[in-house]
Amino acid sequence: MADDFVVVKDLHKSFKDFKAVNGVSFTIAKGEVFGLLGPNGAGKTTTIRMLSTVLEADSGDITIGGYSVKKNAEAVRTLIGVCPQELALYEDLSALDNMVFFGHMSGLEGKAAHDQAMKNLKLMGLEDRAKGKIAKYSGGMKRRINLAVALMGNPKLLFLDEPTVGIDPQSRNNIFENIKALQKQGLTVLYTTHYMEEADRLCQRVAVMDGGKIIAMDTPYNLKKKIGPPDKTTLEDVFLNLTGRSLRD
Amino acid sequence: MKNLKQAWYIALKDLKIFVQDRAALFFSIIFPFLFIILFNSLFSGVGWEDDRITLHVTTQEPEGGISYQIIAAIETKDEEALSPGDPIIIWDKDYEADHQAVLDGKLDGFLNFPASFTQSLMSGASTGLEIYADAGATNTRAALQGLSGAITSQINADVAIIKASAQLLAQSGASPEEIQTAVQQIQTDLFSGAAAAKSYLSFEVVKVGNVEAQNASNWVIPGYLVMFVFMAAATSAPEIVKERKNNTLERLFSTSVKRESILGGIYSGIAFKGLIQIIIFWVFGILVFHVNVGLSPLAIIILSLLMVIMSSAFAIMLATLANSIRGASSLAVITSLLLAPLGGCWWPGFLYPEWLQNISKITPHAWATDAFNKLMVFGADFGDVVPSIIALLVFAVIFSGIAVWKFRISDR
Repeated sequence: MADDFVVVKDLHKSFKDFKAVNGVSFTIAKGEVFGLLGPNGAGKTTTIRMLSTVLEADSGDITIGGYSVKKNAEAVRTLIGVCPQELALYEDLSALDNMVFFGHMSGLEGKAAHDQAMKNLKLMGLEDRAKGKIAKYSGGMKRRINLAVALMGNPKLLFLDEPTVGIDPQSRNNIFENIKALQKQGLTVLYTTHYMEEADRLCQRVAVMDGGKIIAMDTPYNLKKKIGPPDKTTLEDVFLNLTGRSLRD
Repeated sequence: MKNLKQAWYIALKDLKIFVQDRAALFFSIIFPFLFIILFNSLFSGVGWEDDRITLHVTTQEPEGGISYQIIAAIETKDEEALSPGDPIIIWDKDYEADHQAVLDGKLDGFLNFPASFTQSLMSGASTGLEIYADAGATNTRAALQGLSGAITSQINADVAIIKASAQLLAQSGASPEEIQTAVQQIQTDLFSGAAAAKSYLSFEVVKVGNVEAQNASNWVIPGYLVMFVFMAAATSAPEIVKERKNNTLERLFSTSVKRESILGGIYSGIAFKGLIQIIIFWVFGILVFHVNVGLSPLAIIILSLLMVIMSSAFAIMLATLANSIRGASSLAVITSLLLAPLGGCWWPGFLYPEWLQNISKITPHAWATDAFNKLMVFGADFGDVVPSIIALLVFAVIFSGIAVWKFRISDR
């Protein structure tokens, strides 16, 4: 489609004999929040790492904003922001210092980096704690800063890899509200989570991955409709129906 | 340009973390100086303190003999008035007691004037001074031999004066009585009073090069500079592993920062810390501890910079070899504490047996401390430490090569 901001075709990635991603294809429209769901080891994070240019695919094509990840990774990097599952922050620096630093890394200069850092801190409700060290922050605050850092440099595509793990409801709500607001401004989001209600609430479409493959992809409503009445069925029912009830460790 | 700027920001970020970390500052800057002050005070004076030797002298002559005049002239009357290196000379009145003391091992040795000393001297017969010394007391024996040699030379010269004076008097027609009186007068003047009061032993210090007597700081400070610059750099390795584990490096990479910029930034950050250390070390060393930088300050600067470069490369290499933060910490501490004493940072390497000195050459520490010692203690010039400079360069190239080759932004 002409509006597709992300196009992934037949993506493969193996680690020795383990096929982490096995023929994954999907597209994400500009301004869409796309959910990537799946149990542990399904291949979600590996897919995000390939899309965010830090991991090279064995085969397949990825195009972001019209640029091939393989051929023009540099251009792709200027379009993306990554909020990793881990708190990839400098705990000994203040929130503001972290933001400004990553702003500089994204190509922002002095005042522009500082101004955008303050704007993003305000967005996350942390402007009053701007000069506090990350090490002294609560888990929820750290998660919000983790997201705020990903927004430095005004990315067009945001990768959110389980951004709400282990945080309080208020922080989670703050993150949701911000994602919705950013989407309205035209930001495209690839969102992975284990919390099905989050995907249901945020995503226009979701893909369910298991064993390195996409086993279902549609709107949450349509996926729910496939297994029961959409108003009485949850996305979690869909997920368990598709991936089974056996434990994944 | 963009890559350099990003590397610069990464280095500044690491420097900011370092400066804000009080514990890191203490262990990198303050702690080394506590060590330096402690070891400086422990080692100050060792090897160059004025440890006077004591010499005992006796005579078996009856009172009134020339030996009485000589011993009275050379005997130490005021220790405070002695010059550096002068021995303390003690006149023991009891020959038998000293002799027994040497036999009992209570006294290292003594010089004795025999009972016939004056009589033999005046009659022109041969006589000699006697040295009694313990076989193992080589220093005392050598000093007594020196003292007896000096006395003998002086007496020979004095006897020649007396004989020449007597001949001159005889040639001028003086009577035997007049000659006898004149000889006695000359003898008294020579062996006592002002003439005899002059030192029988004298020495001259010949300086080689411009290096003065040593200040303990001249080897304590370079030793600890080498140790702590290396240690501070090495202990950065766990921080690099931590960044790899919590994905900040990967995050940097995804924000269009190239691997070379990340590597360069991390390297520069560690090097900046090392530069701060060496500047503080040398400024305090020169201003507070009065270290002598020797004949080639340029060599000192080059060696210090090479230590920083080599240590920074070592830290990154260590981080690439370690798979966990704890592993990197252990490796950093073990290598720092093993290489420092082996490389002569805790005490001078030139004191080691030859086989250990040869083994120590596998450490960059040994090359660095050896060069600093040569420059600051032994008065060497730039040319003398070129091999050490080359060796440190080789270490830096090897460590950098491994660091660049194995550096990774993620363990996943």
